[in-house]
Amino acid sequence: MSEVTNFLALVVTAMVPYIFAAQGTMLSGRAGIFNVSQEGMLTIGAAVGFLVSLKVGSNGVGLLAAGAVGALFGLVLAAVTTYLRLDQFVVGLALFFLALGAASLLYRVVIGVTMSQPLIPLLSKWRIPLLADIPVLGPVLFDQDPMVYLALVGSAALWWFLFRTDAGMRLRSVGENPKAADSLGIDVAATRIWAGVAGSALMAIAGAYLPMVYTGTYTDGMAAGRGWLAIALTFFGGWRPQFIVAGAAFFAGMEVLALRAQVAGIGIPHQFVAMLPFVATLLVMVFAFRWARVPAYLGRNYDRESRLIG
Amino acid sequence: MTGAVAARPGAARRALTATLAAVVPYLVSVVAAFVVAGIVIAALGHNPFVAFRSVVTTSFATSFGVVETFTKWVPLTLLALAFAIPLGAGRFNIGGEGQLILGATGAAAVGITLSDLPMPVLLPLVLIAGILGGGLWAGIAAWLMSRFRINEILSTVLLNFVSFQVLDYVASEVWPDVGAGFPATVKVADAAMLPTVGRPAMHIGVFITAGVVLVGALLMRRSVPGFELRAVGINERAARVHGIRTSRVAVGAVVVGGMAAGLSGAIEVSGVHGNLLEGIQSNYLLLGIIIGLIARGSVVLVPFVAFGISILEIGASAMQRSAQVPAELVLIVEGLILLFLLLSDVLAARLRRRRPSGGPAAPAGSPVPADAAPVGLGPAGSSGTSGATATPVTAGGHP
Repeated sequence: MSEVTNFLALVVTAMVPYIFAAQGTMLSGRAGIFNVSQEGMLTIGAAVGFLVSLKVGSNGVGLLAAGAVGALFGLVLAAVTTYLRLDQFVVGLALFFLALGAASLLYRVVIGVTMSQPLIPLLSKWRIPLLADIPVLGPVLFDQDPMVYLALVGSAALWWFLFRTDAGMRLRSVGENPKAADSLGIDVAATRIWAGVAGSALMAIAGAYLPMVYTGTYTDGMAAGRGWLAIALTFFGGWRPQFIVAGAAFFAGMEVLALRAQVAGIGIPHQFVAMLPFVATLLVMVFAFRWARVPAYLGRNYDRESRLIG
Repeated sequence: MTGAVAARPGAARRALTATLAAVVPYLVSVVAAFVVAGIVIAALGHNPFVAFRSVVTTSFATSFGVVETFTKWVPLTLLALAFAIPLGAGRFNIGGEGQLILGATGAAAVGITLSDLPMPVLLPLVLIAGILGGGLWAGIAAWLMSRFRINEILSTVLLNFVSFQVLDYVASEVWPDVGAGFPATVKVADAAMLPTVGRPAMHIGVFITAGVVLVGALLMRRSVPGFELRAVGINERAARVHGIRTSRVAVGAVVVGGMAAGLSGAIEVSGVHGNLLEGIQSNYLLLGIIIGLIARGSVVLVPFVAFGISILEIGASAMQRSAQVPAELVLIVEGLILLFLLLSDVLAARLRRRRPSGGPAAPAGSPVPADAAPVGLGPAGSSGTSGATATPVTAGGHP
């Protein structure tokens, strides 16, 4: 593999957690639930995904278990904000702390303090026949682990669902104008609940991917800001699935570039290279926030009995 | 707001009810969080009562415990203020960590480079450098917020990650202590260290922090900027209509919050460590946010909640030694206290509405009807639904 192909293949792998986490943010947000616990969801997903994979011996089960735990957190967030109308940011932050504590505690309880960390096997690559033989494009896109395919196909499916089906349009209407949606007989509460649950599950799966493709183990703080970057990516992608995938390429490119430059040593102190993804994100947000078409009811709670308009 | 309601005739009994209504949810949620933690501890095969005893008593058992608790109280209080002050204006500052680090960097830079100066000059300079460092770092996010409408949650968090690299660079390239074995700067001059009192020694940063809290609470309650800040937090649109420059108030709140965090960075350098080192921020950011939220954004409540949390934190590490219960549990306890507090607010609002007397739905002390602001951030001039929810929407590019 040439240097360029190798770099691009790494970028595509690095895109996966960003895609899952940002699509989860987008899906919840389209129904009006702004989940700010991404970083926590990624962390608890990584811990659960790693521990279950280790004990059961199957990364697939680990991913599913992580998704289930994420869904549980999403249910709490969606339920208390929808039925009790608690502040979404405050509850999101509280769940963020709970998830960080729970992840760290789970690892301590199950594994304890050991000299060498136990490892799980990394995800194996599924080489797609014929397509993988295309020069450059083949090894970059069609010789990857199954989660890469799932992320790309899933994003396409998400776009089709949101913009080409009735159910998707109903979900979007709940995030734009719940009062109008309610008057048309759409079950606003149920829509918000399942969108919140599905969104958090996707974020936790994004976290579970990290030990399965990079380290083979869980360490505290391994989400390393990806959760927060995923929120930025969602704005960057204008809350639309197709642009989120494109934006993920940029975020993942920055991440891989920073790592590579640190390893290669390019004359400037490595700390400045490591800043690059975060500084670049701050810069692109200047444009992203002007461009993003944010769901009108994002972060707000719908009260059917409220006399306020909108 | 609070005063206006409470000052009505016959306020004495209502004030008592209001105090009870304010205290009971705290008690309930602390007890409930401990019950859940006790169940978890028992499920892990440890004795919850042994564990809880070391959590509650460690801070008071020895004079070391007392000093340790107060030393921890300083950064927790200041970082909670860094979160609570912008929250008063409906803004979420999640960047206390980065502001602390930049404050610590500024303080260390002055303490190392100007080491010839006498203490009466150098020490204030060190603290001022810390305040400026934190204020400038928060100022970046505040500027992006007001100029480009970038959501301040995101910008402050992203700046945290940048600050880690700044710290690493300063500590391993600019003034490295080669013998340390991890990124750390050389020590600051002795004249840059905060004096201590008593034995075991406690640095006077504790008193500085107490002073900051007093002044902060006075300004919030009794000054024009404090009033404007609360007005923006409660109803940004109404505040704008009445001629308050809301954008400027929000920027000011975020910058002042950053200054508080920067001061705590300076105190960590010149009171605790004597230098800038990797990990100086500890987990103060998370704790500061938890404290700020548990205190419902009230500058007056913050120091008391912070004291409770520092008892928990000091006790947690003792619990790990005495009862072998992992200290990580304490973060869960703190998160649960916050969640239960929010839930008990909802419960209280429901009960109050069901009461047959048919009085006004709003409790004494709550600026808005209970059903309009079930967020648990009502009293004491913090953001209700309006401020908090306006944030992402306005940040998203809606003029």
